[in-house]
Amino acid sequence: MKKFSLVLSLVLFTMGFAFAQRTVVGQITDGDGAPLIGATILVKGTDSGTVTDIDGKYSVNVPDGANTLELSYTGYETQEIVLGVSNVVNATLSEGVTLETAVVTALGVKRSEKALGYSVQQVGGDDIGRSGASNAVDALVGKAAGIQVTRSSGTAGGGSRILIRGVTSMVGDNQPLIVIDGVRTNNETQQSQAETAGTAVSNRLMDLNPDDIESINVLKGAAATALYGTSGASGVILITTKKGNKGEKFSVDFSSSVGFDNITNMIDLQNEYAQGWSGGYDDPSTGSSTSWGPRISELEYSTDPNHPNAPGANAFFADGTYRYDPNGFIVPKGTGNGQAANVYDNVTPFFQTGNTFNNSVAISGGSETATVRLSVSDRRENGIVPNNEYDRQTVKLSSSLSPTKDFTISGSVNYSKSEFVKIQQGSNTSGLLLGLLRTPATFDNSGGLGSDAVDNPSAYIFPDFRQRNYRGGGGYDNPYWTVNLAKGFEDVDRVFGNLQLNYQIDPWLNIGINSGYDIASDVRKQEFEVNSRTNAAGRILHDDFKTKVFDNYLNFTGNGNLTDDITFNYLANATLFSFNSSQNFATGDGLVFSGFRDMSNATQVTGGNDIERYRQVGFGAQVEAGFQNMLYLTLTARQDYDSRLGNPTDFNLSNTGFFYPSASLAWVFSEVLGSSDAFSFGKLRLSWAQVGAPPPDPYSTSSVFGPFSVGDGWGDNINFPIAGRTGFDNANLLGNPNLTPELSTTFEIGADLRFLRNRLGLDVTYYNRKTVDAILNASLPRSTGYANVWLNSGEMTSNGIEVTLNATPVSNKNFQWNSQVNFTKSESIVDKLAPGIERLFLAGFNTAGTYLVEGNQYGAIFGGAYLREGAGVDGIDESLNIPAGAVVINDNPDSPEYGFQAVDPTQRAIGNPNPDFIIGWNNVLSYKRFTANFLLDWREGGDLWNGTAWALSFFGTSQLTADTREETAAPIEGVKSDGTPNDIPVVRDQSYWTSSVGGFGAVGEQFVQDGGWVRLREVGLSYRLPDYGRLRGGSLGVSGRNLWFQTDYEGIDPETSLTGTGNGQGFDYFNMPSTRSVIVTLNLNF
Amino acid sequence: MKFLNKILLICAVTLVMVGCEDYIGGDLNADPNNPTSVPVQAQMPSIQINLADVYGGAFSRFNCMLVQQVEGVARQWSSFNQYTGLTPNRFDAAWNNIYENVLNEIRIAKDNATADGSNHYLGVLKIMEAFAWLTAADVWDDIPFSEALQGEANFSPGYDDQRTVINAAYAMIDEGITLLNGPAGAVVPGGEDVFFGGNTAAWIKAGNALKARGLLHDGDYPKAMDLAMNSFASADDNWGFQYPDANAAGQWYRFNRDRTGDLEFNPQFGAMLMETNDTNRMKIMNPVFTTDHPYMVADFFQELITYREMQFVVAECAMRAGDNATAHTSYLNGIKASFDRLGAAGYDDYVAQSSVDPGAADLTLEMIMNQKYVAMFLQPEVFSDWRRTLFPKLTGVQNTVIPVRWDYPSTEYLFNSNAPAAGAVDIQVDRVGWNR
Repeated sequence: MKKFSLVLSLVLFTMGFAFAQRTVVGQITDGDGAPLIGATILVKGTDSGTVTDIDGKYSVNVPDGANTLELSYTGYETQEIVLGVSNVVNATLSEGVTLETAVVTALGVKRSEKALGYSVQQVGGDDIGRSGASNAVDALVGKAAGIQVTRSSGTAGGGSRILIRGVTSMVGDNQPLIVIDGVRTNNETQQSQAETAGTAVSNRLMDLNPDDIESINVLKGAAATALYGTSGASGVILITTKKGNKGEKFSVDFSSSVGFDNITNMIDLQNEYAQGWSGGYDDPSTGSSTSWGPRISELEYSTDPNHPNAPGANAFFADGTYRYDPNGFIVPKGTGNGQAANVYDNVTPFFQTGNTFNNSVAISGGSETATVRLSVSDRRENGIVPNNEYDRQTVKLSSSLSPTKDFTISGSVNYSKSEFVKIQQGSNTSGLLLGLLRTPATFDNSGGLGSDAVDNPSAYIFPDFRQRNYRGGGGYDNPYWTVNLAKGFEDVDRVFGNLQLNYQIDPWLNIGINSGYDIASDVRKQEFEVNSRTNAAGRILHDDFKTKVFDNYLNFTGNGNLTDDITFNYLANATLFSFNSSQNFATGDGLVFSGFRDMSNATQVTGGNDIERYRQVGFGAQVEAGFQNMLYLTLTARQDYDSRLGNPTDFNLSNTGFFYPSASLAWVFSEVLGSSDAFSFGKLRLSWAQVGAPPPDPYSTSSVFGPFSVGDGWGDNINFPIAGRTGFDNANLLGNPNLTPELSTTFEIGADLRFLRNRLGLDVTYYNRKTVDAILNASLPRSTGYANVWLNSGEMTSNGIEVTLNATPVSNKNFQWNSQVNFTKSESIVDKLAPGIERLFLAGFNTAGTYLVEGNQYGAIFGGAYLREGAGVDGIDESLNIPAGAVVINDNPDSPEYGFQAVDPTQRAIGNPNPDFIIGWNNVLSYKRFTANFLLDWREGGDLWNGTAWALSFFGTSQLTADTREETAAPIEGVKSDGTPNDIPVVRDQSYWTSSVGGFGAVGEQFVQDGGWVRLREVGLSYRLPDYGRLRGGSLGVSGRNLWFQTDYEGIDPETSLTGTGNGQGFDYFNMPSTRSVIVTLNLNF
Repeated sequence: MKFLNKILLICAVTLVMVGCEDYIGGDLNADPNNPTSVPVQAQMPSIQINLADVYGGAFSRFNCMLVQQVEGVARQWSSFNQYTGLTPNRFDAAWNNIYENVLNEIRIAKDNATADGSNHYLGVLKIMEAFAWLTAADVWDDIPFSEALQGEANFSPGYDDQRTVINAAYAMIDEGITLLNGPAGAVVPGGEDVFFGGNTAAWIKAGNALKARGLLHDGDYPKAMDLAMNSFASADDNWGFQYPDANAAGQWYRFNRDRTGDLEFNPQFGAMLMETNDTNRMKIMNPVFTTDHPYMVADFFQELITYREMQFVVAECAMRAGDNATAHTSYLNGIKASFDRLGAAGYDDYVAQSSVDPGAADLTLEMIMNQKYVAMFLQPEVFSDWRRTLFPKLTGVQNTVIPVRWDYPSTEYLFNSNAPAAGAVDIQVDRVGWNR
């Protein structure tokens, strides 16, 4: 310990010395004496390094204090050489042994990559760092086959959804388990408000500083994750954090970056027609919601209160000046003061350039018995939407101590503090884009102030506290009101880490204990000022989440050779896991006066507590036997007991237990065929595994009562206590004491082929997964008395192909190009739901929602469709898909919708939000000290329902409605009820867009659009700094994220999700716009 | 040694299993925030407020829009007003609330009241249950009844004939009144009964009023008249819920606050009022629908059945029986009660007009029904009255046919294999049982 603290105290000193250095030269050859071109030479514990030239020769600067060279070459064994007095070091690398590379697998067990019978993919810390993403999830886009990442919006602090091999559970969380240094951690998103409204949700992996990540391993299939039991059913992301190395000189890494964000794109709004209805102009004070007024070019201003078109008295201040526009109110041209009516651009001045400042410092090093690494980071983000902020500070200390050779104690502590200011979005009358995009071109949300309106209340609130918006104080919040008077605050404090003990008794017995903890507090406050449109009486919401996760495991491991031909290793394991989340909430309604948004100002305060808790006990075992380094068989077994299956009134342990096995086989056939320069390595993988999963939520085994709110969705619900009484109501979700775990069986086959001395690698995997007894909250007809019931009834089949192509097209002394292509294709078909149930609601709206639909892909977009020929006809119309026939036109001359498309009384599957395939093409090119990288992200297909365009067509603010409202009358393509081609000419004007086939009508299919894209996800250029004085390398770089994309989608950006990280994907309804970023980063190492 | 090893192993396994059971067992999987059973008093306010809220919400808005007291003028409501937007999903909330938050709760509460012999409670529950069934059957015709509300025992309840439901509801009223006339039993309704505060006499009158309303639909005028006369004696007896304030405001106040401008006073109704120079009542009903509306206030008294409705029931039945004198008295009582409810002045001047009160001999059914329509502003029952009598005389929006029933909700079409096929109901054509 003394030595340890001595070392620690030396850290600061170390920086004080100037570093002398020497130059070492030499040649690297292979076993046959041929020079190796492009082999890497690193000076261990420093940032100094080089590659060999065309003759296999190198020259490297070795800073003082460093004494080891690390020599590596793809496909060859890495060698370490301790420097003596000589400055010439020649070496021979032996071939093929890199495949002995240890990979971290389930439960932190390091296994030889060669022996694995399933697919594992690793993403290095460099790749994470280069991405410029603040959230480790975002950094994974395109870097591994089989994963799909969707950023929910461009909100600073908004979350991202990640899937490995598509969806595995029908209604449970489909995001993978996140394991940090062996500990299961919480990546929950906690929702305080409705899924389609409120503010953006965050995912808790955001709390980890990406600079602390050493590597990320993606465990994809069930065989890889079987040892994690139920919690690994959706795949596992294993994150290994950076630590100090034994014998490594103390070093200081400093990193600083500054980034700028801009809005990527905007919806095309019309600027020709004024607020109004049926061609008549409506003053804002009338509350008129739409832009179906006259042409703006035919309007001008007037300030004369006696003008015949003057609005009502409530449009004027007491002194007779007009409230809504400094130019005056709008009147027909020729009757006012001659000043033409303005066309206002409300969108451009509203958004700002966001910025990000990130600074981090890490100190690391070690003695022969102890290591330590301490990092501190500070990140500050200001979003593109005014007042949207995200600040994060992290501290991480990890250290280890080996008092004896066979005993190691290590641990880490992470503390992170995040503060968010979030803005209301989505489907709510305080939602930012909702109010912004519905604003008519004749109304200036900023009241003439432009972008200064953010800081000037006169733009959005009148002196009498009424709201200044285009609907006379009704309708939707003025966006400037939203960002100032309806803010959401989140304050997250989180501590997580682990304590590990490892005792190596002998090669056959190693005892490891890992105790992890993850404790988070998330304190939220949402304000709604009096006269906010969602809560006109004013409302304050407090949510105080406390989440505690404890994960403990005990591992017995050992390995050795049984005979000369047979290698063997085993693992026996026991785990205890507990999750406890408590939410205290309070709602204060009816604020007494404006300007003080605090609970103490509320006239009615209600509150409560919600506790979610579950525990798991698991026992697992794994044996791996290898034959002649060629054939490996791995068998695992695990028995889990999960409290979520327990019946609280009649507990029986055996009902909560479930067993699942796995088997995998790896055959390194290149051992048989022999490898050559052309064909370096070949392996076939085969695996089979079964995994069970408990109900997604605790307490699903019983039905409960609660004081639920009262209402029908048209006005705000009211909450108990009401009139001094509280009332209990049986929940609409019917519990089921007979639940059993859902079971999925996965078969996986794959090959890993490497050519040209490993410069070309191809990894292909196919899998098939069948889930049965899936636990669903099956929808019920309400005449049963309930809305849903938990049932073991679903069945789903998934198939997928993953391909990773690695290539090093160029590798020489000065220039190296590494390229990786990841291809992902996965498809999950819902085979069966519950008896009598053809579809199951996931998220969304009446007109278009995501559902599980029998026979369709997971999460189909389901909604109103045009009537087709053949609809409802037995023998033709047998599914919920859109029938193949022609669109039928309403030809009833008495109907107000005469000549429009008729509406199918049956809702249909109108879109599939799942992409056909995803390709990520990641490239890193190095030339001397320059490194350039780019990542192309191609997502093919995947529908989105453009609910924004749907709604805007009703309001008449979209360009679409300007283009069609004065078009020449023409028949819509389709047939009349007698089957003859439609010949009824119509103009798609207000009557069309406000009908059943327009915005807010019954039909959703006309706004289902292809959400595929090709995107320049990452691009960067950096320069590796030479050593200089105390400086031991570093880099200066500039990188861009999301700088360019190409899509057929007509909304802002198809990468968006109204429901954040939830299962219901494929909706765009006034979502926050996405961003593109440019980041400049400076790294300095001392 | 081997034996000892075995014992040790058994002990170890037992220890682990016992520890395991302690770790995940017990009531760990019981929701600490929500009980699995509650006494009947705890359910009562929820049942009653849900019932008042759905009646004053979806039922009031749709029915009063269909008979043109109010008019949908913006967003979704403009399409509802033209009937094109009245797709099945629009009726989801009403159906869901009636079945899930009222009838299913009453079922559970009745089981508890029966188990502990709380007879008066059971009586009150039966009368409320009858109200819910009758209200549902009046707009949806045939509905799940005998197979409904069985939870996991039946996920696709079959549909019963409207007559079966209505007759069963009448029996519930009769049983309820019998129970209320008997001994109270264990738990007695008190302050948690937000309708009548446990007043059994008031509940018996309410039971009679409810049955009178139903029998009027059936055309059984003598019985309806008899029951109506044995119901509410004054507006003080009205069956309703008093919303407290803006934090828990009445349905119309909430709607006008959160959906400002979607629904407004219907000019047709205004024109009708002006035919009898009814300016005083119009002044209170006609202002724009905002939170400042003088009638649709936050502390609204949401009526379920009223004295004035019963007076018009008596007037109609008496008129049909040729008893013009009784009809005339009740007719004027009803109008007076309407002026009182609205807080409108000028009743005497108003009824002094011969167009309003031509005297008993010249009183017509149309006058009675028209005055009932005015007096029942925002009361869902006006839709039944219009369907029965075709008074007041109305013309469909843009000369289309005014719907005569509601569609079933989308949740039934989707999730109940015993529901009629989607599209089977034509709301503009298919009349409910008592209206055929």
